[in-house]
Amino acid sequence: MSILTDISENLQRGKAKVVKELVQQAIDQGIPVQQILDEGLLAGMNVVGEKFKNNEVFVPEVLVAARAMNMGAALLKPLMKDAGVEAAGKVCIGTVKGDLHDIGKNLVKMMMEGKGLEVIDLGTDVAPETYVQTAIDQGCQIICCSALLTTTMGMMGEVVKKADEAGIRDKVKIMVGGAPVTQAFCDQIGADRYTPDAATAADVAVSICQASAC
Amino acid sequence: MPVVTVNGAAVTVPENAPLSQALGAGVEMPCGGQGRCGKCRVMVRGAVSEPGETERARLTADELAAGVRLACQARVRGDCAVTLQSAGGDQIRLCGEMPAFVRRPAYRPWGAALDIGTTTLAGCLYGPGGELLAQASAPNPQSRWGADVISRIGAALQGEGPALAAAIREALAALVREMAAAAGGPAYQVDRYVVTGNTAMLYLLTGADPDCLSHAPFEADRRFGEAVRADALGLPGAGQVYLPRCMAAFVGADITCAALAAELCTRPGTRMLADIGTNGEIALWHGGQLLCCSTAAGPAFEGAGLSMGMPGRAGAVDHVTVENGALRAHVIGGAAPRGICGSGVVDALACLLETETLDETGYLEEDPAPIAPPVSLSQKDVRMVQLAKSAVCAGMRTLLKTAGLTGDQVEELAVAGGFGSYLSVASAGRIGLLPPELTDRVRVLGNAALAGASMLLLDPAFVPAAEAMADAARAVDLSTNPDFLQAYTDGMFF
Repeated sequence: MSILTDISENLQRGKAKVVKELVQQAIDQGIPVQQILDEGLLAGMNVVGEKFKNNEVFVPEVLVAARAMNMGAALLKPLMKDAGVEAAGKVCIGTVKGDLHDIGKNLVKMMMEGKGLEVIDLGTDVAPETYVQTAIDQGCQIICCSALLTTTMGMMGEVVKKADEAGIRDKVKIMVGGAPVTQAFCDQIGADRYTPDAATAADVAVSICQASAC
Repeated sequence: MPVVTVNGAAVTVPENAPLSQALGAGVEMPCGGQGRCGKCRVMVRGAVSEPGETERARLTADELAAGVRLACQARVRGDCAVTLQSAGGDQIRLCGEMPAFVRRPAYRPWGAALDIGTTTLAGCLYGPGGELLAQASAPNPQSRWGADVISRIGAALQGEGPALAAAIREALAALVREMAAAAGGPAYQVDRYVVTGNTAMLYLLTGADPDCLSHAPFEADRRFGEAVRADALGLPGAGQVYLPRCMAAFVGADITCAALAAELCTRPGTRMLADIGTNGEIALWHGGQLLCCSTAAGPAFEGAGLSMGMPGRAGAVDHVTVENGALRAHVIGGAAPRGICGSGVVDALACLLETETLDETGYLEEDPAPIAPPVSLSQKDVRMVQLAKSAVCAGMRTLLKTAGLTGDQVEELAVAGGFGSYLSVASAGRIGLLPPELTDRVRVLGNAALAGASMLLLDPAFVPAAEAMADAARAVDLSTNPDFLQAYTDGMFF
């Protein structure tokens, strides 16, 4: 269906206004909400995510594409419940306590939303107990922690401890990332997954949610 | 034939040969030995020709008094000794320019100004009348705890604080002894010191607990502007060490000193000061108010982190131009290219944009893009530089926006620091490291932190003024600032 391809292509170019108009047209034409989402918005974001992973496009392109996606998704949201469309999974994300870096965390959030996940953004300077409580209250499958400083990344270990204490580790996976974070660090603090970039983080989050749905 | 001792190693050259002949690849001569660029400054003692007009035009009275010469111009008359700076120190001219003032030193007989750079230490030794006796530089030994300040703060919090303090104190003392030896006297003759550096460097020097610098809200519980005993910091002599006042947790005494040397706040008009290194520290003076911020550029401009990055040493591509549609690279020391340093990266990207190998989004048509084979830049390198250059430029734009200004209302952009001294301002504007509208108003200061520290040493009347300036500075937090985020993402394009 060419209108969905149009949505995808305009989204990739960051043309938020056009995307919004096309999504409205698609709704008016009676195309199922799930199909507009999957074959229009998410298909476009998927292309952007792949290109980002391959260094073909950079942060600004992802941000404008995500803005276009959000404008289109805002039209679909009220219709999704009626149509019985459900998110592929639920994630809470935040930058750890003591750290105010926002951009990397926002990129991960956008990439995850681009994969059809519902993402609760806790912002920056997030206390360990806030992640855990949100995951419990909101039924998240994933806690996603970001840190940009070697002096704050240790806080991720505290999140793991709090999740252990709350006894949620079998239901909730903990993902970690950020410039100073490594696989070795992830192993050391006992987190579940480390990913080196935002696009990979979104891929891994989807696979975790799929596994937990089985 | 006369013997020229170069950093202790003997070389023989014919009498009347230019000094550069004895130095070979050890000295850089971008102008080809014409005496025009001043990049081949060296320290000489012994039998060399008197400085001619060409050299007098390039060297300050202080430099001439300290034995600094242009290697391409000075001629060997007999045996002599040359000191070449090593380890990232292709900066023979260590101290930035100072404004004119009457020197009224309160020390006797000697005083020393020292700058603790995160990467490089530099110092100047002054005599009774405030004349420059010697200068020296050395790598900061704390590098083994990490190249950036946050890693070192982290190490200090893990119990490495005493080791970090001992390392820097030892290195500073060695620097002072080296300068004293060059000036021909014992180091204990140094009666007063001014030691500047960023806030974290002063914490680590004094052994203060840097916990408050390690996490939000990043508020320094010490801003210095105080004197301590030299022996308490392991420095020679029984005098005092003055540590200048810092503006904020990540806008340090080095910026206070640089602002003093740049006369940022003592002249009318709107002016900006930027010190670009691993951290970009920026200050804006407008309408009697001083705004400042710090922005994380990362190590790309120090030559680290890039696939073929290296410090500005022999073998590094330091400048690139486009000639007849092809890239032409200059290599430090004239040797075969081995890597690329910060100023080379900035030039290379500007050139790749010109040849349309690089598009405005940062996409490379050819990955990796050859610069001076085997040296190249990869797509990943370009992405890293995009983050770094945008962080610096967005910091400037955020301060301007906070003050309600646009770039063209700024009368002068003073650029401090080693990287800034070697940078092509036009290339920096082209790639968006500096706001393009300001490139025709750039004044390059060199090591302005050391110049400002020297001023505090040579006339104590500057001390209260500098402290008042640091106290009045308002720090703008960028990490939570929506204007910064907007400028940062917009600024990633070329």
